[in-house]
Amino acid sequence: MSDENGQDSGKPEKRAAGAELVLPIAGLLFTLYYFTTIINVPWTAQVSAFFVGNILIGLIIALIIRTAIQVRRGEATLSIAPLIAPKEYVPKRLALLGLTLGYVFFIQWGGFTVTTFFFLLCAMLLLSGGKKKGLILTLSLILSVGGYFLFIVAFNTRFPKGPVETMLQGVF
Amino acid sequence: MEIDWGLFADLFGRTFTFWWVILPAILLGLIVGAIPGFSAANTIIILLPMTLAMEPEIGLIFMVALYASSRMGAGIPAILVNIPGTAGAAATPLDGYPMTKQGRAQQALAISFVSSVFGGLLTTILALMAMPWLSQVAYHLHSVEMIVIMLFGISLIATIAAKDTLKGLIAGFFGLMIGYIGADVVYETPRGTFGFLELYDKVPLIPALVGLFAVSEAFAVIEGESILTKRGMDAMQKAGWQETWEGVRLAISRWWHIIWTSIIGLVIGVVPGAGAAIASFVAYQQSKTFSKTPEKYGTGHLDGLVAPESANNGVTSGTLIPLLVIGVPGGATAAIMAVVLQYHGVTVGPDLFDSQPELAYGAFTAMAVTYAIMILTVLPLARYMSRITVVSTIYMAPIIISFTLVGSFVPRAYVFDMYLALAFGVIGYVARKTGYHVAAILIGVILGPLLENYFLRALRISQGDVMVIFSSSLGNVMWVMLIISLFVPMYLDRRRKAREQALPTTTDC
Repeated sequence: MSDENGQDSGKPEKRAAGAELVLPIAGLLFTLYYFTTIINVPWTAQVSAFFVGNILIGLIIALIIRTAIQVRRGEATLSIAPLIAPKEYVPKRLALLGLTLGYVFFIQWGGFTVTTFFFLLCAMLLLSGGKKKGLILTLSLILSVGGYFLFIVAFNTRFPKGPVETMLQGVF
Repeated sequence: MEIDWGLFADLFGRTFTFWWVILPAILLGLIVGAIPGFSAANTIIILLPMTLAMEPEIGLIFMVALYASSRMGAGIPAILVNIPGTAGAAATPLDGYPMTKQGRAQQALAISFVSSVFGGLLTTILALMAMPWLSQVAYHLHSVEMIVIMLFGISLIATIAAKDTLKGLIAGFFGLMIGYIGADVVYETPRGTFGFLELYDKVPLIPALVGLFAVSEAFAVIEGESILTKRGMDAMQKAGWQETWEGVRLAISRWWHIIWTSIIGLVIGVVPGAGAAIASFVAYQQSKTFSKTPEKYGTGHLDGLVAPESANNGVTSGTLIPLLVIGVPGGATAAIMAVVLQYHGVTVGPDLFDSQPELAYGAFTAMAVTYAIMILTVLPLARYMSRITVVSTIYMAPIIISFTLVGSFVPRAYVFDMYLALAFGVIGYVARKTGYHVAAILIGVILGPLLENYFLRALRISQGDVMVIFSSSLGNVMWVMLIISLFVPMYLDRRRKAREQALPTTTDC
């Protein structure tokens, strides 16, 4: 283990095992919820899920026991730091998540072309810190319009349609 | 069923004259294969009016060429941006993407193309030769054997995520539970749906694929300016044509690896419903098990790229065998081909080889010719395709998010599926950050409904006796193989580590 000067500090780094428990605990909660939805149903709807669900619960318990032993020995901690590391990207990542949620929310009314244009524009500006505005504007326009022609006009794909797609339906 | 090699040779030459059908089908197949949410099956459905209007022979050539090229296309984004175009390419990024990060994307693409083409070509020829025997495989696999095959698929994940088998198994079984969401097949009872009607018909695979691989990757890559390492960026900027030829040379030098991993794909492809996803993981796991350097898998190991790419193209010819020989489609695309042929009054099955041999053999010759044309058209593109990796993540992440999320809308036209992809993206992001394999979760989601169906079928046949899963001799042999495949890699890994630990001590002495 090296410190800032590149010298060996001699202390082994403790594993942040708390973060590793997030997914198994989510899995455990989901499995228990799943079991509540099959308690009063015919056995055909239960049997396979109980088989797999119980194996999953057993595996998760084994992981929890292993983690507890490692924490007790001082080899691991219950920190969830790896989930949010590196911390300086947390605001950007949350903002991007917000934009993505907005994209999915508005696409059913705005349609593919317009919503994709605004999403690409906002997301690229967010990630670039507001630099290269001209390039980002051009790129967003080319990609959204290009996507319209490739997927909706050429492939006749079932993309979300809004005012622009409806208006241009008669033209292309 | 005797094979008429003379007819086969005539057909081979004749199929080349349909290059004008094959070439557009290849280009279309590469595009639809590379975009998550699209597939050969969907595209053939979209183009159904066109294929129905064609002569049966031309229609079949078009469909087969599109099918084979889409399989190869799915590996391209898997290597370049860690996003498999289809579930069949889910094992490709395990070593393909690390190669890209090292600035060897061009080489990785060339290896993938050569492995796919030679794997596909070889298995097409083998499929023709071994058709009478291979067609019998499906007859011997009943519900019990299929349960073991499904569990075998999950056990592979544990060995692939060899750094921590326990975490690998948790990810796989969590995926299986997610795959169990939806109404049960007998009484239509909704289970684990959180009240969403859209989940009654099981968890759709495309949103799961898009979320676990694409969305989670996009949120992870924004930490750097590029997906490449600094050394990788330098290497990419210096890369020329020699990188492609080096990739070709490296792939050809692994000819034996291509042969046996593509045969794995062929055999698994014959089993209806098993598919390319299982085949590529089985091939990857087998390749790792028998490798002299298993510890290098997952870091950009060439064999780790060759194995899944050869195998998933081996599946392509394998799925045609049950369709043509016993009339049972081996997958969705094969099923659609059967529908198109039936529209033209062609009944698929053993009689086809006597009544219309030009169609029965024609399917295989079309595949062989497609692979031959494909290598010539796609190999020069490797250099240009690989340039995508130098694009800054500022532009790449939003493009990946928007286009793949919309891709998850395509199959069912539900906005709900886009939210679902986003939810899978969060699961995938947590998995990536905490050392769980997203591929393990995806394989679980794919196998969950299949496992449940076979489980129910076996229990209904045995009138509820759970011990039915140990009632078949073939099944019991497979159980033993399953246990061996789970524990042997762990044992070999421990032995290797022990040897490595012992080595410095010996040197010191």
